[in-house]
Order: sequence, then structure tokens, then C-alpha cells
Amino acid sequence: MISWRALLSHLAPLLACIGLFAIWQVAALILDTDSFPTALDALRAIPAILGDKESLINILASLRRMAVGFGLALLLSIPLGLMMGRNRFIAAFFNPLLMVIYPVPKAALMPIIMLWLGVGDIAKTLVIFLGVSLPVIYHSFQGAKAVEEKMLWSGAAMGLSAPQRLLRIVLPAALPEILTGCRTGLVLALITMITSEMIARQSGAGNILFNALDMGQYDTVYAMIIIIGAMGIGLDAAFENLRRRLVRWSEPVFELPLSFA
Amino acid sequence: MIEIDRISQRFRSSGRQDHLALSEISLAIDDGAFVSILGPSGCGKSTLLYIVGGFISPTQGIVKMKGKPITGPGPDRGPVFQEFALFPWKSVLGNVMYGPRQQGVKAAAAEAQSRALIEMVGLKGFEHFYPKELSGGMKQRVALARTLAYHPAVLLMDEPFGALDAHTRTRLQNDLLNIWERDRKTVLFVTHSVEEAVYLSDQVVVMTRAPGRIKQIVGIDLPRPRRRAELLLDSRFQKYVVEIERMIDDGGQDALPP
Repeated sequence: MISWRALLSHLAPLLACIGLFAIWQVAALILDTDSFPTALDALRAIPAILGDKESLINILASLRRMAVGFGLALLLSIPLGLMMGRNRFIAAFFNPLLMVIYPVPKAALMPIIMLWLGVGDIAKTLVIFLGVSLPVIYHSFQGAKAVEEKMLWSGAAMGLSAPQRLLRIVLPAALPEILTGCRTGLVLALITMITSEMIARQSGAGNILFNALDMGQYDTVYAMIIIIGAMGIGLDAAFENLRRRLVRWSEPVFELPLSFA
Repeated sequence: MIEIDRISQRFRSSGRQDHLALSEISLAIDDGAFVSILGPSGCGKSTLLYIVGGFISPTQGIVKMKGKPITGPGPDRGPVFQEFALFPWKSVLGNVMYGPRQQGVKAAAAEAQSRALIEMVGLKGFEHFYPKELSGGMKQRVALARTLAYHPAVLLMDEPFGALDAHTRTRLQNDLLNIWERDRKTVLFVTHSVEEAVYLSDQVVVMTRAPGRIKQIVGIDLPRPRRRAELLLDSRFQKYVVEIERMIDDGGQDALPP
């Protein structure tokens, strides 16, 4: 039998959602302005958006760009971060560059990128790529740097070459840290995706949102915010599930769930 | 046969003076001998072991094994570290199988060998546990099995029982002796415990504090197989312990903190 406590802890995120919606509903009823539709009105607008072929194509295009940008960023950032963590010269070469790029909001580069690459897929994917890269590089770097030297020596004694040690010891040993970076990267991918579509308004979920705002369709605006928020929560939960499965060997016994997974 | 020929090791450090860790160490280790290196902390005894392992290269001098100079790590010299250094993402079985698999042993054969080794170190039933689920003593047993699994000719043990409580340490010493008496591998064993060194070894190499030099090599002429309970009452054992302790105390003040 499931104890009340366990049941409650499973339902807690759901209860938080219901609570938020309830506050929203009451606040909207009290304020009673056009630009603040009630929660129920916003929820009612969702099926219309998801049922519209055009909108669906737009949202899927957004997700595709996000997946490509995220995937390419991981492919480049993880090896780079790991090599920086294990090689002083590689770290010394890339570190100043990354230190300059790190605090710059990637969306601020959007105008330049648009000038060069237009407002299409390439420009938006590039911004997502840049947004994801830095946290992943940083965490891979930290993870690789922290790998115990003696573990690498043990591998070397078994006959593993330096590249083999990077792939088969540094990578798995740093995986918990790398995946922490990827989780941050995933959320940043969603943020840069929407931001890029707000700036280069041609297609995508962000475009639907801002078109609705221009036309004063406030329930659609709020409905899109709910959809985008749900996408974020869903992706994060799916990733957290995957992460836990991959690094079960490193998890502490007790932990507070920090996602819907 | 391992020949250590006039090894010196100097560590460069910015700000401070260079640190001379080892100075002109020469030592010959016979095949199948159990040799302990004993000395105060900071005397460079672990550094010497890492040089024989090929993990660091000496500033001066050369180490030869079977007449060939050592240029890097290799499966003929298997390390066991105080920190265990297990692969935390692998199970006990996965850790022990790692070396044989790397050497190209087929999975089924590697698994059979590894299961036998795990049983030999007393961990039957823990094959699918992860390192984080094991106690310190169990981790060190896994580390020993993992190293034995790829059949090194020489075991390089770096204060392997230093992080364990007294009771666990005694049990592991006994088990190590039993295993060693079966296949008589060459063992180079770094420790700062005089009793441990005398109990286990054929020879005890006593080192001076930094810069580490060999002060004296003491041959331990005690019959094998050795039983700890008998040895503790044996006056020859006690004499060795007292003699070596005096040698170490001879230096005067305590070693500086590292």
C-alpha cells in the first residue's frame, strides 16, 4: 500500500500547478481587464492552437531547431570541455575566449547573425547552439578536471591509451557533471529558441505568441505561454528521467525531487 | 628482477624552492620477493612506487624491469592505491573484468576468471554491487581483485590499508599474505606501519626523511607461512620491530606537514 506521505510527494507538483491556476483565476476575475484573461479562458484556447495545422507546423519547426541546436552543441561542447579539463594547454587556449563569450546574452547577437545568415533556420539554430554550448562546456570541463588521477593511472596500467582513457574513463567519470550541464543547456535551448523567434519573426512558437499579442488575442497569448511552459516542464522531466537512469551509480541515497520526472 | 638505478626526483613549485623528494635511490628487487618501503610521511616512498609504475618519470636515473628500461605504465605492473580508485560507474564484476577485457580476453572467460577472483577476495555475492555501496575494506578487496585480474608480474601497493580501521586492516593483511603465498608475485609495498612491514615482507627498505634516501635494508628472516598471532609473541618479530622503529626515530624531529 502506498503511504499518504509518498502519495502526497508524488502529487505535490500537480497540486502546485492547480494552486497557481486557482490564484490566476481569482486574480483575473477580480481585476477583470481584457489583457488578463482567466485561467479557464486561456486553457480553453489551447485546443484551438494545437488543432490548427499551421500552428502545429510552427511549433514542430521550433522543436526541430531546438533539437538540432542542442544536439550539435553537445556534440562539440562535451569533447571540448573534457579535453580542456585534462589538458592545461587546451584549457589555456580556449578559456579566455569562453570567459568573454560566457556573460554575453546570446540573443543579443541575434541582430548580427540575422544580418549575415538571414532570418531562417540557420540563424536561429546558431543562437540556440551558442546558448547551449557554454554551460555544457563549463560543466564538462569541471567534471573532467575532478577525475581522480589514480583512476586514470589504474586504466593506464591496464593498457588504455590516452584517447581511450578520455573516452572510457574521463567521460563516464565526468558524466554526472556533464549531464547537470546538459540539463541547464536544455532549458537554455528553450529560452534561446523562443527569444530568437521573437526577434526574427518568421515562424515558430515565439512567432505565434507575438502575433497574437499584436492582434490583441490575449487568451491565445496566455495559452501559448502555458504550452511553451508545458514543453519546458515536459522536456526537463524527460531529460531528468534519462539522466537518473544513466548515473544511478553516482546518486546519493536520499534526494529531493527537483523536477516532474 | 627490478633494478632501480640512482633515481632522483625533484618537484618544481612556483614561489617555493624546488623540492627534492628522492635522492640517488638504488635498489634491486628479486622476482617473487615481498619488499616493503618504509619511512616517515613525505619521504618520497610513494613517489618511488609511482616511478616504478611508470606513472611519473624521474628527474634522474633509470628503472629497469627484466633488463628493459621502464618508460610508462604497463599491465606487467599492477597498482593498488590507498584511495582504491575503482571505476564508480562499474559494478564489482565490471571493475574486475575491466583489465582482462582490455587485454582482449573474451567476455565469458573474463567473467569466469573475475568471479573466481571475487570469491577469492571474499566478496562472493557482491558481484553486482556498485562501489558506493561497499565499505572501505570491501572496496580495497575489489581493487586488489581488479589488479590481480590482469596478471601483473609485480604488485605495486601504495599504503593500500592506510585508510582502513585496525580490524579491517589486519584481516586484509592476512588475506593478502594468503593470496601472495599461493602465487608468489613480486610485491612492492609502501607503508608507514613498521609492524605491517615486518609482518608481510622479506625485506624492509627503511628510508630517511626528505630528501628520501635509503637508510638501511633489513632482511626479515621469519619462517613462512606466517601467522599473526604467533608472530606477535615471537621475540624475533619484536626485535625487528624495535630495531626498525629506532632507525626511523633516529632522524630526530617529526616530518614537516606535506
